[in-house]
Amino acid sequence: MNFLKRISKEFTGLKTIVLSLVLLNLISIASLYSSLHQQGQFVGGDFFSKQLTWIAFSWIVFIIFNFINYRLYYNLSFIIYTLSIILIGAVYFTGHEAMGAQRWLSIGGFSFQPSELSKLAIIIVMARFFSHPPANNFLKDFFLPFSFVGLSAFIIFSQPDLGTAIMVILIAFAIGLFSKVNKKYFVWVLIAVLIAAPFSWTFLKSYQKKRLTAFVNPNIDPLGSGYTIIQSKIAIGSGQVFGKGFLAGTQNQFNFLPERHTDFIFTVIAEEWGFLGSLFLLFIYWLIIKKIFDRLKKIRDPFAYYLTVGIGIYFFLHVFINIGMTLGIFPVVGLPLLFVSYGGSHLISSFILLGIFFNISRNYK
Amino acid sequence: MLFNPKSFFSKNQSSVKLLKRVVLISFSLLLLVLFNYQITKGSYYLRRAQNNYVRVIPLYSLRGSIFDRNGVVLAKDMASFNLAVFPYQIKNKKDSLFKKISQDLGLDQKIIYKNYKKNLRGFFSPTNIVTNISKKKALHLKEAYPKSLSINPTPQRKYLRPLETAHILGYVKKASSLKKQLKKYGYKPLERIGIYGIEQYYDSYLKGKNGGDLIEVDAAGNVVGFLGRKRAYRGKDIYLTIDSRAQEIAKKSLNKRKGTIIFLDSNSGEIITLYSSPSFDPNLFIKGKDLGSIYKNKASPLINRATQSTFPVGSLIKPLLAIAGLQENKIKPTTTFNCKGHLVLGSNRFKCWGTHGVQDLYQALAHSCNIYFYKLGLIIGPKKISSWAKKFGLDSKTFIDLPYEKKGFVPSPQWKKDKFNQSWYAGDTLNLSIGQGYLHTTPLAITLAINSIANQGYLVEPILLKEVEDAEASLAFRRTLNIAGENLKIVKKGLRKTVNQSSGTARILKNLSLEISGKTGTAQTSGRSHGWFVGFFPYKQPKYTISVFLENGGSSHQALRIAYSFLDKLKRNNIIK
Repeated sequence: MNFLKRISKEFTGLKTIVLSLVLLNLISIASLYSSLHQQGQFVGGDFFSKQLTWIAFSWIVFIIFNFINYRLYYNLSFIIYTLSIILIGAVYFTGHEAMGAQRWLSIGGFSFQPSELSKLAIIIVMARFFSHPPANNFLKDFFLPFSFVGLSAFIIFSQPDLGTAIMVILIAFAIGLFSKVNKKYFVWVLIAVLIAAPFSWTFLKSYQKKRLTAFVNPNIDPLGSGYTIIQSKIAIGSGQVFGKGFLAGTQNQFNFLPERHTDFIFTVIAEEWGFLGSLFLLFIYWLIIKKIFDRLKKIRDPFAYYLTVGIGIYFFLHVFINIGMTLGIFPVVGLPLLFVSYGGSHLISSFILLGIFFNISRNYK
Repeated sequence: MLFNPKSFFSKNQSSVKLLKRVVLISFSLLLLVLFNYQITKGSYYLRRAQNNYVRVIPLYSLRGSIFDRNGVVLAKDMASFNLAVFPYQIKNKKDSLFKKISQDLGLDQKIIYKNYKKNLRGFFSPTNIVTNISKKKALHLKEAYPKSLSINPTPQRKYLRPLETAHILGYVKKASSLKKQLKKYGYKPLERIGIYGIEQYYDSYLKGKNGGDLIEVDAAGNVVGFLGRKRAYRGKDIYLTIDSRAQEIAKKSLNKRKGTIIFLDSNSGEIITLYSSPSFDPNLFIKGKDLGSIYKNKASPLINRATQSTFPVGSLIKPLLAIAGLQENKIKPTTTFNCKGHLVLGSNRFKCWGTHGVQDLYQALAHSCNIYFYKLGLIIGPKKISSWAKKFGLDSKTFIDLPYEKKGFVPSPQWKKDKFNQSWYAGDTLNLSIGQGYLHTTPLAITLAINSIANQGYLVEPILLKEVEDAEASLAFRRTLNIAGENLKIVKKGLRKTVNQSSGTARILKNLSLEISGKTGTAQTSGRSHGWFVGFFPYKQPKYTISVFLENGGSSHQALRIAYSFLDKLKRNNIIK
């Protein structure tokens, strides 16, 4: 009993998050199970058992990261960054096997998407840069940190994975806006990028142009992405207030929705659990993000502070953009729903980030 | 420097509030949109979901054809006939139907079930149960079961010169047989995607655009309406720079021996022949048959030896070394070294393959005298040799328009120190000077390096694409190496002597009367030596460059004989004049 009490004390103010996580896991399992059905038949193969393995594995990772002192990432920040570059580079060079889709590295039977790791690395590197007072010098304050971001984003973009590349830039930019760096730099750079974009084509070498002409352009659907969005809207809308019930979503069950177990998992939830279910899910997300930002007022270390800001922003952007995408607010880019979509890479990196946050929290109770 | 904690953390409180507000507003926005869809318009969407299920049946595009430089078809799509069922139509009579079909065709029922399971994509998609049958049989069965069966002709890739062009063209596969992540890039499971070769490199041109039929089905799964069709667009045709006749001659000349023949336009870099032996039949990949014979073959037929394997180059490095020596002002063409058949260095004897006596640069090239180039190498020094080999592109990709190109390797004293923690010995320099030891590169890279002597010092980028239907393609690219014209002339003259001098190493090519200049090479390896020949012609203004490589071919002599037979047949067939 003493032991339990100690644990409980250790996690003051964090129990809500743990509870929310368990709920999200359950929602994920249920909606995945449903999305793998077609006309009452289970068609998922080993997807389901794989995801259960991922979830179990993520919890182990989560617990381990709870016990790693977050200051370690300060010291290791550039090593972590370099590792992330090597891994995404490795995919670029060795991942050729998958023909045009080079995002995965395969370890054992499971494949891993190293671009997820680079989001993590960027948060850590940004937190390190911004934890020192700015020098009021464009090169030191802005150019240096963002050249790290640029390199990561560029390699991820050429894999090609536009969604993650944009995400990396958005996260870094958001942390940057929150830092003490002079905000006018951000405005300058935005303007410069807008002006420079059309000219960059002329600087490419002939073979680069050749490569670009042969570059496989990912288009989303034979009848345009409109089809996916219309089907997604019908699924969500027809869920009405209370939803159609578990395994009863017709849009889902009749295979109308592509990618419904990964990026479009939200449509399955909204169709089967209705507005109330969606509201509940959003509430859980909001709760987690709020708890993360609430902790900021207790933190007394700038590095921990910006790490926490980065983690909160990462969670927020993933939820907002993914759900916004299924609702047709944002264009369809490949992006999973936080803690819920099928897939191991994003699950593990989200759990790692949360593990880091828990460690910070226990240092600043 | 560090922040002052007090001011840092107190000042930030307002921006934290702002951040939380942004999150709250964003989530409220999502809720607002959700409210609009699920509550305000909920019954409308429910009606749409109940009454009208819109379904897409994909129409797959035809891939563009691939032609050679003379318009000969190398690859095209042909129709193959399949029998398909719509699962929703045969819900209850599946077993009896499959039994009847298996009896009619004399086909094992298990195969039909296996196909059905494998090809099932959804209840409203045509699902192939019997594939690749004759048109007659297909029509016959359709007549017997008009309501349950449909004929589903699908395009199948056919390679018309399979063995001759396998490494250049590559092949296609159904996206479903590849990793499922391809779906993210818009590939449909049955869509074909280029694997390897031109099929992969120019997949975006060749693949065309898929269309689809938009149909309405009701809740019971019956088709109630046809909403429209988006037509599929055929992929673009591609014309290559290769000459299929020359490919065939190359295949015959190599006659299944391991090696490569490369034949290109010296000035533009257009590849006229690129043949790697042994080859394979890409049609087997399309049919999915007898692949074991390809995978198990110890000679690795899938590897394009011209671009994907690296080898020591032997004496082919000598003309490059000669240029380095002239450019660095270490020698003049008249500088002589005396060949006594060997060179003693410390306790080691380094041999020449003959005893050539006093040699100037021209004679040394004509005779491929090792002693001359040992001494030249020692004068130039390993660092300079290394940097010249790199300048000639021996350790970089040639950027030919084929996937998975490998690059070679050029050693340097610094590399040896970093890698083995050993210093660079004079013996290493000697080995490097005759293309032995650590240096290795692809046949294509060394061919282009020597080709720069033929075209006034340009490293050209090799190209296989001549034209794309309805598109401008001007892809020629070359880079000058900044070598004095005088020096190029000297080496070119030396290379001419290998052929037209009676003691020259490539004298057997004189009979062809093509005014060839070139260089032979025999590279020692752990097994039998590799045989090399790279040359160009005509002498005054070279138009063509040829290279023959024989893996474990024994000696350069074998390579020369193959070069002779190849060029002789090109001439007889009027492919060159």
